[in-house]
Amino acid sequence: MRLRTAAGAVLLTLAACTTGPSLENRGAVTAPPGDSRHLTIGSAGFTESDLLAQMYAQLLNQAGYKTSLITVANRELYEPALESGQIDVVPEYAATFADWLNAKTNGPDAPPVGSPDLATTMRALRRLATPRGLTVLDPGRAVDQNAFAVTAAYARQHHLRTLSDLGASGLKVRLAAGDECVQRPYCEPGLKKVYGIDITGIDPKGVGTTQAKRAVQSGQDQMVLTTTTDATLDQFGLVLLADDRHLQNADYVVPVVNRARAGSERVIKTLGKLNEVLTTADLASMNQQVDSWRRLAQDVAGTCLRDKGLLK
Amino acid sequence: MTAPPNDCLARNEWICGAYLTSRRQILLDAVGQHLRLTAVSVLVGLVIAVPLAVLARRRRWSAAPVLGVTTILYTIPSLAMFSLLLPLYGLSATLVVAGLVLYSLTLLVRNILAGLRAVPEETRQAARGLGYGPIRLLLTVELPLALPAAMAGLRIATVSAVSLVTVGAIVGFGGLGNLIYAGMNTYFKAQVLTASVLCVLIAVAADLLLLGVQRLLTPWTRAARA
Repeated sequence: MRLRTAAGAVLLTLAACTTGPSLENRGAVTAPPGDSRHLTIGSAGFTESDLLAQMYAQLLNQAGYKTSLITVANRELYEPALESGQIDVVPEYAATFADWLNAKTNGPDAPPVGSPDLATTMRALRRLATPRGLTVLDPGRAVDQNAFAVTAAYARQHHLRTLSDLGASGLKVRLAAGDECVQRPYCEPGLKKVYGIDITGIDPKGVGTTQAKRAVQSGQDQMVLTTTTDATLDQFGLVLLADDRHLQNADYVVPVVNRARAGSERVIKTLGKLNEVLTTADLASMNQQVDSWRRLAQDVAGTCLRDKGLLK
Repeated sequence: MTAPPNDCLARNEWICGAYLTSRRQILLDAVGQHLRLTAVSVLVGLVIAVPLAVLARRRRWSAAPVLGVTTILYTIPSLAMFSLLLPLYGLSATLVVAGLVLYSLTLLVRNILAGLRAVPEETRQAARGLGYGPIRLLLTVELPLALPAAMAGLRIATVSAVSLVTVGAIVGFGGLGNLIYAGMNTYFKAQVLTASVLCVLIAVAADLLLLGVQRLLTPWTRAARA
């Protein structure tokens, strides 16, 4: 999901000067919470986003709303549509979305507002989202944040369970990650400073890509940057090391809605029920069913909701 | 976690019957959207291109700017084109159609103009001598004679529109492009291959259809060859 923002950089520069709240939609921004009968759910086009959007749609359907789904690959395109009410509900990630809105509001050089602390992140996110006419619902239990994995054999050999263990071991580590890892506080600088891990180099193979995982599997690299909802780690014989000192930002799954069209108590309650029960492991399992087994996101989402007793 | 199912979907095979059966409706909807987007944008493009080409033919000074502007439009990258049009049309099928219409103009205007210019001066003078006014000259002499070149342009524009529709996937209206885009993200071989093959089939079918229309509209070209 973080890679995708880079793909949209071209669009950002082009769209940035033409979008954002203007005098014409000031009314929508200050309008009271609305309850539109027909809701459009946006998906950002990657599997997890599709799954969450499907679950939102099916729950809202059951609550009596007519829903339609639209896939828009870039946040640069769907966020303005969410503000204008062309899209009513979007699954988002708290820290990433807070930083994105912060960059949009205060410029690309503004200091980041997303943090490892969920409460701080949510306060910053709501402060940025509310003036744009967006309501950020309460975060649930599911988190899709950056995570680091090593091979199971390597972990066993050096008795590693957490990133602190790795730092204490003094092992030299070559990390397969995106090339931006060199600068990002959650990546190389953080691993060195917070955990004291001896990073000898970054192998720019991308975040959680197949090539990156193969490089670690073959021993070319020792550790790979991926995400907590990655369900393909088993296939590569990889295990996650726990982020025991909370280096990673609080990328909890949060539904974001257009307040004037979908800010009603009923929508918030309907989506809130899902947030209370959906876990990171659920997301990982669903991602696997769609990405590795190639089931339909619609079916996988429906099965999960029925298993949770949310859908009849 | 339960064991993975063992079918061609889970094995990620290029050709997979289970893909076709489980995604039948999705594929049909995507093909339908693809055809609608292509047809609407080429028709709208044609409606705009014919007057532009006639203008460029009648008023000599306008030829250079008309051709210049439509050519420049063609050089705008499709990602940028959709972003530029986004504030005007929002996230809608109209956005994709508008982009495709602008792209089709280059091919259509150029070819229709080439067709009009190829009408022999003697023919035009003969028609005038028979008392044809400018409108009647255009509709009954110039445009029919320009048809072969214009139809060639229309065929290229249509085939190019079929492939350009897929870029609409970035705003969720890309017909089969939606499936190709989603499939590429997850290395879903059956989906990428099936959707791509359907794209090619649509392009070939549209080209053959237009070729048939051209032969019906211009029976004299065949008679001359025979």
